[in-house]
Amino acid sequence: MSTAALPTVHLAPGQAAWQRFRRHRLAFAGAVTIVVLVLGSAFGPYLLPFDDTFIDVMKRFAPPLSGAHILGTDELGRDVLARLMMGGRVSLSIGIVAMVIAMAVGILVGAFAGFYGGVLGAVLMRLVDAVLCFPTIFLLLALAALTEPGFVTITLLIAATAWMSVARVVEAQVRSLREREFAIAAVAFGSSNLRIMFRELVPNAMAPIVVAATLNVAKAILLESYVSYLGYGIQPPAASWGNMLNNAQIYLTSAPWLAIAPGIAITLAVTSFNFLGDGLRDALDPRMNIP
Amino acid sequence: MARYVANRLMQAVMLLVIVSALGFAILHLAPGGPLSQFAVSSQMTQEDLDRVTKQLGLDRPLPIQYLDWFGRMLRGDWGRSYRDGEAVLSVIGSHLGATLELMATATVIAILLGCWIGVLGAVRRYSLFDSLATVGAMIALSIPTFWFGLVTIYLFSVNLGWLPSGNRQTIGDGSLLDLLHHLIAPAMVLALVETAIWGRFMRSSMLEVINQDYIRTARAKGMPEWRILTLHALRNALLPMITVAGLQFPTLLGGALVTETVFTWPGMGRLFLDSIGYRDYPVVMGILMFSATMVLIGSLLADILYAVVDPRIRVG
Amino acid sequence: MADETGKFDVPALGNLTPGIPNRRHFMLLGASAAAGLTVPASAFAQTERPTNPPDKPRGQVIAALSQEPTVFHPLMPGIEVDQGVWWQIFSPLWFIDPDGNFVPDLAREVPTIENGGLSADGLTWKIRLRSDAKWHDGTAFTAEDVKFSLELVNNPDFRARNRVGHSLVKDIKVVAPDEIHWRMESPYSPYMSILSLTFMVPKHIQEKVSDPNNSPFHNAPVGTGPFRWGERVPGDHILLNAHTGYHGNGPYLERVVFKYIPDLTVLYTQFRTGQVDYTGLQGILPNFVQEAKTLRGRKIFVSSTASVEHVAPNLEFGPFVDRTVREALYLAINKKAIIDALNYGLPTQTESFVPQQAWSFQQGLPQHSYDPAKANALLDAAGWVRGAGGVREKGGAKLEFTNSTTSGNAVREQTQQLLIQDWRAIGAAMRVNNMPAAVIWGDFWQQSKFNSVLVSVNFMLGSDPDVTPRFGSGAIPAKGGRGFNTYQYQSPEADRLLAEGAKQFDLAQRKVIYGDLQKLVRKDLAVLPLFQGFIAEGVKDGLQGFRHNINTSSNCWNIREWYWT
Repeated sequence: MSTAALPTVHLAPGQAAWQRFRRHRLAFAGAVTIVVLVLGSAFGPYLLPFDDTFIDVMKRFAPPLSGAHILGTDELGRDVLARLMMGGRVSLSIGIVAMVIAMAVGILVGAFAGFYGGVLGAVLMRLVDAVLCFPTIFLLLALAALTEPGFVTITLLIAATAWMSVARVVEAQVRSLREREFAIAAVAFGSSNLRIMFRELVPNAMAPIVVAATLNVAKAILLESYVSYLGYGIQPPAASWGNMLNNAQIYLTSAPWLAIAPGIAITLAVTSFNFLGDGLRDALDPRMNIP
Repeated sequence: MARYVANRLMQAVMLLVIVSALGFAILHLAPGGPLSQFAVSSQMTQEDLDRVTKQLGLDRPLPIQYLDWFGRMLRGDWGRSYRDGEAVLSVIGSHLGATLELMATATVIAILLGCWIGVLGAVRRYSLFDSLATVGAMIALSIPTFWFGLVTIYLFSVNLGWLPSGNRQTIGDGSLLDLLHHLIAPAMVLALVETAIWGRFMRSSMLEVINQDYIRTARAKGMPEWRILTLHALRNALLPMITVAGLQFPTLLGGALVTETVFTWPGMGRLFLDSIGYRDYPVVMGILMFSATMVLIGSLLADILYAVVDPRIRVG
Repeated sequence: MADETGKFDVPALGNLTPGIPNRRHFMLLGASAAAGLTVPASAFAQTERPTNPPDKPRGQVIAALSQEPTVFHPLMPGIEVDQGVWWQIFSPLWFIDPDGNFVPDLAREVPTIENGGLSADGLTWKIRLRSDAKWHDGTAFTAEDVKFSLELVNNPDFRARNRVGHSLVKDIKVVAPDEIHWRMESPYSPYMSILSLTFMVPKHIQEKVSDPNNSPFHNAPVGTGPFRWGERVPGDHILLNAHTGYHGNGPYLERVVFKYIPDLTVLYTQFRTGQVDYTGLQGILPNFVQEAKTLRGRKIFVSSTASVEHVAPNLEFGPFVDRTVREALYLAINKKAIIDALNYGLPTQTESFVPQQAWSFQQGLPQHSYDPAKANALLDAAGWVRGAGGVREKGGAKLEFTNSTTSGNAVREQTQQLLIQDWRAIGAAMRVNNMPAAVIWGDFWQQSKFNSVLVSVNFMLGSDPDVTPRFGSGAIPAKGGRGFNTYQYQSPEADRLLAEGAKQFDLAQRKVIYGDLQKLVRKDLAVLPLFQGFIAEGVKDGLQGFRHNINTSSNCWNIREWYWT
């Protein structure tokens, strides 16, 4: 083999990351699925001839592909596909928005607690512990009981139950990274605390944070279905994947498509977010060796 | 170290007080009360309802009720359920066994299976096994537990008849085999999500560790791969898992609640749901304090363990 | 009074007794109407099949309940499933059978004026008791136990379920171990029915207890009923064993197990797969009934209850004040869709708040017709003009309101969806505001804080159609009244009819009066009635003896007569 040096291609870090990402096919598939779901939910209803709340009691429980309704009709004769899309709007939005809020709060709290340690750290982490003491369901139930159930409330409630685990993980990571060489070096260079926190430590803790973020969207979408199951979810006649699944329970044996459709939608969305997160994580880890 | 522990214990106590006050306030301020269920019946007139409200002490100002309850709790009297009049501790105790049985089984399955899948996936990254495991874990995490439970019942109980469709035992037959037979389905359903969680975190943590310099150095030094894995990688990868473990109790309880509902499992999750529904305040507060105590102990142990294992962390 | 088929299902107090004339009428006129004076203790009279119960108790029955019985002291506040257990462990002085006859249980005979049990003015009661009844621990049942039970109810420290009627009992005298006398402060006819649901507790155990609200008895009760306490696994089941020394007929089962299955779908599944023998409360969901009827080895009973499912408007709330609006809303409801589609044709349509099997039921009330065109015309004529978004307005107020029901009740939620659509067609905007049972039946319902509620209520007071607590203007809790008039219905004519009916003793006259009341309430549309309540229960083939009884507080009232062939 010739020992002549092979031309090396110098890729900018961003381009290298993009290449790694694309190589991660599952993540790509996940991203594509999410885009499809989002677009479908956003624009789909305009393309369908059926309204998602139109009740036609005579046409209840039409199986999929039996007539004009591609996915059949539900217990009140409403078009399942239309409800699926409208429900998608609701469930996806709740998932994403709740995650963003939870992440923001969690990272802030965790970073400050992990970095400063001491009294501030202890107080913050004890606060996290205090809220973590409440079983999620208790928090959701109790808070839901004091407020009117609805889109905004549920989003906030779900965010309120999700930020703690993020904070904990961030705090632990920051706390251990704080002692590492580069952090100490940054201090020696005289960087400000905030700078160190958010430019050195947190990005190095990014991997578990990213995993947490994507799991949080998934969790948020799932929590929405649980909240609906407990009766505090999105109120009828509005559709959400969660309340569609809930309503389909008692018809599992007689009209299984009513449960299969939202179940698959939830699974697809959640799985896609998870794959996406995995891909992002791989792409963002600067010290990874690509085989 | 001892000072640190003492410190944390004191903080824990303070925390419990705050948790109890917050919980008490939220519960009592929420609309509705334990007598609503009777209000809709014909059996009790408004006078009867007022009389019973007074007899239960629910007409007193909230701070007084709280102090009374708190004082009694310190003396070991956690109150009595509004529904069956049993002491709260005994009510919790009678349901605890069922939940612990379920949670323990599910956790053991989840840790063993999850860690194994996670480590293997990290080591053999992008292999068929890893891809399948990843996809499998994703799907497991994405399915709503109650839906999965219902499908399981439908498939294995109604259609195939292999497994019972709920409850902890066949009435009259309390043999071990019968108990196990009833435990399979709910434990598997609960373990499904847990396995996926453990697997994901384990894989992620393992990947982090594997790509560290010291691992590469060890490899370069010629250390056999399995020794690298177990001695260096695994040990370091398990560290963040301690934090994860500390977080699992309330999550597990929440998951158990849904599983218990679907499989009619007579555990604490079910008790909690019923008690909140009936506004059985003493029992709800009891469960809250109990789980808060468990969580605090768990997190304290997790932190101590973490500090012991990672010498770079200084406690206090 | 109220019987809500929701999460908290509770029976009416001494339900309906068709054919039973008013007690007051009976006492004052001395007529011995169909009162079941000396019906033999065996109430086996009218089963369809020839009955061959075994000589010795055999086998067990697993009864599934979707709520957990937790109260085992029969004089304390309890819900319907608790009553189911009380019927096995305890006995009342007498009970009412499915045909409306009073049947003596612990009493030797039901007191009447003829047999001297009641004085002509209804104030003195003399009751002769059985001498062969035994408590589960072997002690003999005596009149002392009756005295103790009644006094316990009136004990100010005791958390009694209700004192209605009992508070009028004075001067209880134990004349002999098997005879007891007392004096009523004022004649009160429903007391006969109230006593049919009052179980006796043992004096020799309870008198020694320091706190009557809490004692070992509460979780290991001792009664005179056909079954004795076995064990309870909280959250799971309650096991009862046969009491071989039972004074009545039966029991023919060795064991009864009440199994708690909170989810109705799972309850049906367990019935289907044979893990339970009888589906009690809340029965089989309507969408499973058709399939259930085709199951081999199972028998399904669909029976009416005394409740009426209706839309309860808050008559002081904005648009509902106007009677025309209520009429228009009623016309726009597609009742047929609700009954046939959502409830699978199981319930019957009704126009009255009185159950159709009651003696006081008024025939020939104006029938509902589904006529949205007429509704629109009515509203147009009344000045309700369509505004933005098709919602009608009048005088600045919009025809919009909320409707609430217990969250999690699938069929009710579907009904609400249908109502939204039906009412949108006439320009009324309805919004759903559901909440869990513990919240909705609190102040929200009692203090009339709702706009409208979808609810099922038993309006009767025992067998009596005296609905003063429901429709009397003095019975509005939100206005400080004593009663359940949460609709805030105020009508001088209704008040007049109610007062007259309560004083009237002639049965025929009362029928006319309450008939007029039903016509008035229907005309005023104080409530929008949908259909009469129903319950679908399943029993395994081979299990004989099940009889639905609208007059007792539970369909588990006669498990002592059940047996396996």
